[in-house]
Amino acid sequence: MAREVRLSTPLRCEDVVDLNIGDVVYLSGIVYTARDLAHIRIMDYLREGKSPPEDFRGAALFHAGPVVRRKGDMWEVVGVGPTTSMRMEPFSETVLGRLGVKAIIGKGGMGENTLNALKRYCGVYLLSPPGCSVILSKAVRRVLRVHWLDLGIPEAIWVLEVELLGPLIVAMDSHGNSIFREVRERALTTLSRILRE
Amino acid sequence: MRVIDRKTFYEIALEVVKRSCTRIAPDAITLLRSAYENEKNPAAKRLLEAMIRNAELAVEEDKPVCQSPGYPVIYINFNDDIRIEADIQKIFQKAIVELTKQGYLRPSIVHPITRSNTGDNSGVGVPDIEIGYNPEADFIEFIVSFKGCGAELANVVKVLTPFQVGRGGIGIKRLILEAVANAGGVPCPPVAIGVGIGGQVHTAARLSRRAVSIREWTDANPDPELAELERRLLEAVNSLGIGPGGIGGNTTALTVKVEMAYTHTAICPIAINFHCWVARRCGARIYHDGSIQYIYALHR
Repeated sequence: MAREVRLSTPLRCEDVVDLNIGDVVYLSGIVYTARDLAHIRIMDYLREGKSPPEDFRGAALFHAGPVVRRKGDMWEVVGVGPTTSMRMEPFSETVLGRLGVKAIIGKGGMGENTLNALKRYCGVYLLSPPGCSVILSKAVRRVLRVHWLDLGIPEAIWVLEVELLGPLIVAMDSHGNSIFREVRERALTTLSRILRE
Repeated sequence: MRVIDRKTFYEIALEVVKRSCTRIAPDAITLLRSAYENEKNPAAKRLLEAMIRNAELAVEEDKPVCQSPGYPVIYINFNDDIRIEADIQKIFQKAIVELTKQGYLRPSIVHPITRSNTGDNSGVGVPDIEIGYNPEADFIEFIVSFKGCGAELANVVKVLTPFQVGRGGIGIKRLILEAVANAGGVPCPPVAIGVGIGGQVHTAARLSRRAVSIREWTDANPDPELAELERRLLEAVNSLGIGPGGIGGNTTALTVKVEMAYTHTAICPIAINFHCWVARRCGARIYHDGSIQYIYALHR
């Protein structure tokens, strides 16, 4: 039976193993946004033996790029919502294994590499409602920091303080279950039946 | 001959670009509401509820519906009696840059190879412009369409041989259903699917984007055969059960739109173009007497 759970960062393994696909999470604490270019630069840094700009152990990593406005010295988040997670599939092993991220938030789901890494390193994939940046940005309290603005506003790492970010649906859990895999297998079975008819 | 001066047209462009990023077309809202009514998966129903509420809040709070502005295409129909005294692409570029500065559009346009962001959504070829001609109308009209790019990632283009088209076009149906199954949640379902068939590859691609960008999603194709094809494809797509957000459910697609051109005897080009549920499609019709009407579809 699906549950509703409130979690705070930093996340521990025991927070994550309790979650099963279908559960709904509201997350408070800190989330770090990262898209393609931030991932690529993190990989470069690690290869060169440099440290990434944040300690991601126990972190929630949000595949997102916000709409922001400058307000004096501060940034105001006008909107923030998920981008397509599948583009970040090549980085899962590093993100979950080496960096120690515990929750990936995004949309569209991820593949088998990620599912294996979630199981191996005790992590979870949370689906946030796609295209719902007005609702999601209501959970953002403030922008704490931003790194790598030279990559452009969407691709920078935004460090956001959030309160009850959600609803986030547990779509891939740490036990090897994926809603996306189940849905895809059913779709392919239906597809072959339709094409036979 | 009526002449629309540069300043007047810029103001209209500014208003329409702003409307198209802060609201979604009413026909899409209608379809989302019926998807919500029909949804049996509680988690998927929750996503649909969030989508509808988010679209309402965007209008109330004057904010962009989605954080990603997607990629802009402007569809314009001219005629002989009304002339715009300006470079259309530059005017829209200026409006887009201005609304980016005001925080309505996230700067998201980059060089395709270096990935360097221009910082204001300007760039070579942006916005894309498609020009049409409608000599009978007593108006000129345009649609601004910002289409999200998660949806683009799922697109498929293929040139089929006559053998691959198969009996009754079964090969086309197979290609579309495989694209939907492989796409899963990537294109932000519930989606609209534009299918362009015929011509050469560029024709099919152009038609596929037009299909989901200049028609109301609730309309029926005036060609009865294509209308029937659209209805059957929608039913088949939704039987796959991908559902809202890709987490399983009754509505995978809100609509399927097919546009066709005749092709060469050797080939059948086909383009499958996904549009996320965020139907940012708004335009204006400027009449000969100078009056303006906001629209969500182009006259056919």
